[in-house]
Amino acid sequence: MTFAEEAKWADLNRILSRSGPFTDPDGTYEMAKEMILNSCKILLYTVQTKLTIHPRGAGGLGCEILKNLALSGFTDIHVIDMDTIDVSNLNRQFLFRQADVGKPKAEVAARFVMNRVKGCKITPYYGAIQDKDNDYYMQFKIVICGLDSVEARRWINSTLCKMVDANIENSFVPLIDGGTEGFKGQSRIILPTVSSCYECSLDMLTPPTKVPMCTLASIPRQPAHCIEWASILEWPRVFKDKKLDNDDPEHIQWLYEQALARAAEYNITGVTYSMTQGVVKNIIPAIASTNAIIAASCCNEALKILTLSNPPMSNYMMYTGDVGVYTHTFEHERKVDCPVCGNPATDLEIDPEWTLQDFIDHLAAKPDLQIKKPNLKRNHAQLYEHDNAAEYSTGLDKKMREMVAEGEELEVRSELPFVSKFSLVFKK
Amino acid sequence: MACTTPNGAPSSKEKKYDRQLRLWGANGQNKLEAAHIALFGASATGCEILKNLVLPSVGKFTIIDDKIVTEADLGTNFFLDEESVGKSRAERTAALLEELNPDVKGAFMNDSLSNLLSSKPELFKPSTSPFTHIIVVSPFSTPDILQLSPEIPTFLVHSLGWSIVLRIMAPTRCIVETHPDSLADLRLFNPWEELTALAVEKTKGLDKRASEGGMDNYEHGHVPYVLLLLKYLDDWKAEHNGQYPSNYKEKNEFKAMLLDKMRTDVPGGSEENYEEAAAAIMKNLKQADISSDAKEVLEDPRCINPTADLENFWIITNAVRQFRDSPAQGAGLLPLSGGFPDMKAESKSYVELQNMYRTRAQRDAALVLENAQATLSKLGRDPESITLEEVSLFTKHSNFIRRINYRPLTCEYSLPCDDHHRRTVIDALNNWDTEESLIHDYIAIRAFQEYYSTIGRFPGAEDKGLKKDQEMLEAFAGDYLKTLDYIGGLADRTKNLVQEVVRAGGSELHVIASFAGGMVAQEIVKVITQQYIPVNNTVIFDGIQSKTAVFEF
Ligand SMILES: [Zn+2]
Repeated sequence: MTFAEEAKWADLNRILSRSGPFTDPDGTYEMAKEMILNSCKILLYTVQTKLTIHPRGAGGLGCEILKNLALSGFTDIHVIDMDTIDVSNLNRQFLFRQADVGKPKAEVAARFVMNRVKGCKITPYYGAIQDKDNDYYMQFKIVICGLDSVEARRWINSTLCKMVDANIENSFVPLIDGGTEGFKGQSRIILPTVSSCYECSLDMLTPPTKVPMCTLASIPRQPAHCIEWASILEWPRVFKDKKLDNDDPEHIQWLYEQALARAAEYNITGVTYSMTQGVVKNIIPAIASTNAIIAASCCNEALKILTLSNPPMSNYMMYTGDVGVYTHTFEHERKVDCPVCGNPATDLEIDPEWTLQDFIDHLAAKPDLQIKKPNLKRNHAQLYEHDNAAEYSTGLDKKMREMVAEGEELEVRSELPFVSKFSLVFKK
Repeated sequence: MACTTPNGAPSSKEKKYDRQLRLWGANGQNKLEAAHIALFGASATGCEILKNLVLPSVGKFTIIDDKIVTEADLGTNFFLDEESVGKSRAERTAALLEELNPDVKGAFMNDSLSNLLSSKPELFKPSTSPFTHIIVVSPFSTPDILQLSPEIPTFLVHSLGWSIVLRIMAPTRCIVETHPDSLADLRLFNPWEELTALAVEKTKGLDKRASEGGMDNYEHGHVPYVLLLLKYLDDWKAEHNGQYPSNYKEKNEFKAMLLDKMRTDVPGGSEENYEEAAAAIMKNLKQADISSDAKEVLEDPRCINPTADLENFWIITNAVRQFRDSPAQGAGLLPLSGGFPDMKAESKSYVELQNMYRTRAQRDAALVLENAQATLSKLGRDPESITLEEVSLFTKHSNFIRRINYRPLTCEYSLPCDDHHRRTVIDALNNWDTEESLIHDYIAIRAFQEYYSTIGRFPGAEDKGLKKDQEMLEAFAGDYLKTLDYIGGLADRTKNLVQEVVRAGGSELHVIASFAGGMVAQEIVKVITQQYIPVNNTVIFDGIQSKTAVFEF
């Protein structure tokens, strides 16, 4: 049975089969069906690592996103998550029940959704993402992230940005990212190397305020100072090499008691067990409704991008729900000097009398470059391709001055996971 | 809400709801668990809203729906499965939603809003209704919703194609815990006697070196910035005829004067407490004021002349009003919040100063309690029916309290058109940003509402007749604008959004239903917990632009 014939998809089918006033004229119904049917693989990346240094956002968008994709007709969804279910997830991660506590999130969620939405295939991957290579990512039409950590977001962002290669089909994979905190959240679309990337907006994060060590050690004023003293200074002093486990209630209990005693000593009020846990684990409040809003926004944008049924939003939406409802939807601009997607050309001095071979040797030998087996591109023409060395062998003896002009930009690719751009300067 | 265990560790319930208790506390959670929500319409949107209320544990819900589950429901509604096809939609969704959280009780009725309004009117009377909050999800007819009582908080939701419209109708909301970013109120231009005395005592020898009998560098670098500001403000006043620095220029001069006194021959070349003082100048150097929101509450007739039947909120606002007006109490100011920011200081001197603010706040709260209890006695109510705890929570927030008067739905739909409604719509149409305004989404959905109420089916449901439905909807939209005496005719954007309504043909997109589920549930949670600030009274989401707008219709 085809998508259009399935009674289940009557609503979706009705909307996608009709073109709207804002619909991209290139978008056809046939294409939309194709996308939503088997050909469209989507990756959902929701890994939460316990090694996270700066948690940002509360995580836990995974359940919502899986449900939304399955009920948008997508049938081939891969999900990566290396976390297990905790009791505190149950207030919003609705695919999990009390009996699932301790099991891997990806597997439980996949099973639940596949059982509920027949015909949808979800492939869970419970493990570290770093083993996956570009080929793995290139199989997806889109990657959606509902992560809780800055590091993991930077990692997937730079992987997808650096993967882009005009010569490789499927190397361009849009990234949609969402995060929440209390009644607030944000969603964004990243078109690698085309629109602003996660790294471009890194400065929008306010760094966590660090309390000076001397305050913790000798002049505490706030309950949080007493708690940090207990976890940062007192624990290692008393337990030496024994590692503090934030998830061990006995450890938290000990910290709480120490913090309480210290607070009493300095006439500070307000230390509670809950606050101790919050400070030590850097807990971010999270509710079902905000997760629903942000996950829905991410999946709505994915649906529009993949089916061309309506234009995507400007690339960034911030949602604020604590004072009425306020959204700010805008085009976040690319940073020219973004280290991931900006990749500005750096000056490279060459001798115009060098042959192309001399230049290639120079790239490999120069200590701060060490680029071997390069592919060289000027403007839109290839100058040299290591992968097709035979084709270019006759050019290797040509003088550089015959092939390039002073000040010209040269794009260099290699086995390294990034592209280098050089502005050529001729040696006088 | 289960209590914390004796050793301070959380109960199993606190563990499960930890991430939300950090937002609304046991207070809010208790209110949530006492709520009984009625959902009319077990569509995807309705069920997504309910899901986000069942998970945080509302007390009870009842789903009212008279449909039989179809195959098409399975493609939009996650809370139906293949087994459900052919069965009662109310029953099946109630079962699959109840299963989400064993702490919540679910019920269902195979019935409709229309029918129940006439057959069981007691369900809709505030005095007899089992429901504390009502959700009605589109499609609904205008005559039906106009019969709903404005005394029961009601949430009317449209979710169609890429558009969402939520209209809230409720009795006046009185909100104490609005959760502002900071409750700190330093009263730098309005210090009380004890604070002034403390500042004088603690800044003795500030401008002298240790060798001249003044402060050593350590002491000097640890004077809390509030005391620095109070001290230098006194110096400033002495040189400026007793006047405080009032404008931007004077505040900059004051800042220069303060930084001039900072010691720079110390490690790092500057002192953190002086830098904190300089940074606090623009925001904190001001007369203690009363916010416009608080003023609005204090001028409410219920505050000025409370009656015995009113909620404690109004008795306490009246007591705060008395406090403000009494020269011996507030002398024109609100009770002090007691909020005090962290600042560079020694533990002992910080706590001492913080206690200065806290003690003053406690004194103010005690005075407000006295006023409130006197009023209760006068009204013939038990003076003990308001506690110090309740008053303290209030006085901590008194500058941030909010009152929202919801306009009744009848005004939005009245003929001839209500003047406020007309102005709201026409102003939006004439505004500079009319090209992108979500008022067009509203007019398109409004036309849909008229179409459905008149014709009883969805525009655009069939592939044939799309053009005719477009024309009819445009005619409904045009008629609506005529009732507003708007002469501009239908804007192109309105026509486009009407086309989107026809395109949807009554269909829900799951992603938009899910967005509505989150957005509406946030508002319901705010209304139930009486914390944070709910929308007044309509919020629209346009899923094409991914933008929202709020209108008071
Ligand atoms: Zn970038």
